[in-house]
Amino acid sequence: MTRGTWIGAGVLGLLLAGCQAGPQPIQGLNQPLSGLGDSQSPSLNSDWLALISTRAGSRAQVQLIDRRRNAPVPLPGLNRPDSLPISVAVDQRGERLALVRQRGDRSELVLHRRSLQASQTVPIEPAGVPQRVSLSADGRVLAVEVSRAGLWQVDLLELP
Amino acid sequence: MLGLSGCALLPLSRQSATPTGLGAESRQEPALSGDGRLLASLAERGGRTTVVLQERRTGQVLPLRHLRNRQPHSSPSLSWNGRYLALLVQQGGRRQAVIEDRATGQQHPLFLPAGQEPQQLSLAPDGQSIALALINGGSRRLQVFSLAGMLEPDRPPGLRESGGGPP
Repeated sequence: MTRGTWIGAGVLGLLLAGCQAGPQPIQGLNQPLSGLGDSQSPSLNSDWLALISTRAGSRAQVQLIDRRRNAPVPLPGLNRPDSLPISVAVDQRGERLALVRQRGDRSELVLHRRSLQASQTVPIEPAGVPQRVSLSADGRVLAVEVSRAGLWQVDLLELP
Repeated sequence: MLGLSGCALLPLSRQSATPTGLGAESRQEPALSGDGRLLASLAERGGRTTVVLQERRTGQVLPLRHLRNRQPHSSPSLSWNGRYLALLVQQGGRRQAVIEDRATGQQHPLFLPAGQEPQQLSLAPDGQSIALALINGGSRRLQVFSLAGMLEPDRPPGLRESGGGPP
């Protein structure tokens, strides 16, 4: 083998080593995701993935994937036939979900507790139109983007 | 400004909509660190959409060294202690997902197969995986990638294996 060939092989080896350290697709999770149709608004942690998906011919729905089983869990009380989800976030335990959804001609911010199968609407004060939402992984702080009088603002709420 | 809004399930404590020192400028795409201590959001800086990282309670702005001149920024996402900030930046004519390690100052670009354009992302709080919403041929789908071996975990105190980045 010539010196040039050795150098070439070394460079290739370095490139491959670099590739191995890069992001690797998680096939066990990506496979069920590919069956969910058009998907957006991911909220990921080590145990859960929340998202909004739209299958052909169906309404958009919030999905919560259990990463230990790579399968969606039921969300009774969260998806409603009269509303369209816009943005979703989940905490580390998969217990609290924050959701912005469109109902009729208004957008609302909703907190959902999975163990109670219960949702509560969070009032936007002063009045505004919520859009994107973030929930801290510990489930204790919520941040929501709100449009007020032509200005985008971020509201912060502490949850007990 | 702290106020209480009545709710049947959870009483909510509302923090000022505009953290100290921000003024009345526009803010979008909020992202909280896992512990809720830090807030990343998008603001206009010199006519360019730029990510701003702040202490949530005080509004103090924290430095981000490697993201200048790569606007517009979008879709910020923080790890548990805020050591890692993942976001989309402009790289030439394309959107690119990058992760800034605030503890080491390193930046990790995520290279995707040709033809796949990232539109949104979410970094797992421990920094060990990331979800990307990818546009491919007009359809939008989510893919999750492992970052194990690429990033040290950023876990809650007690489980932490790495620092929380500079203050």
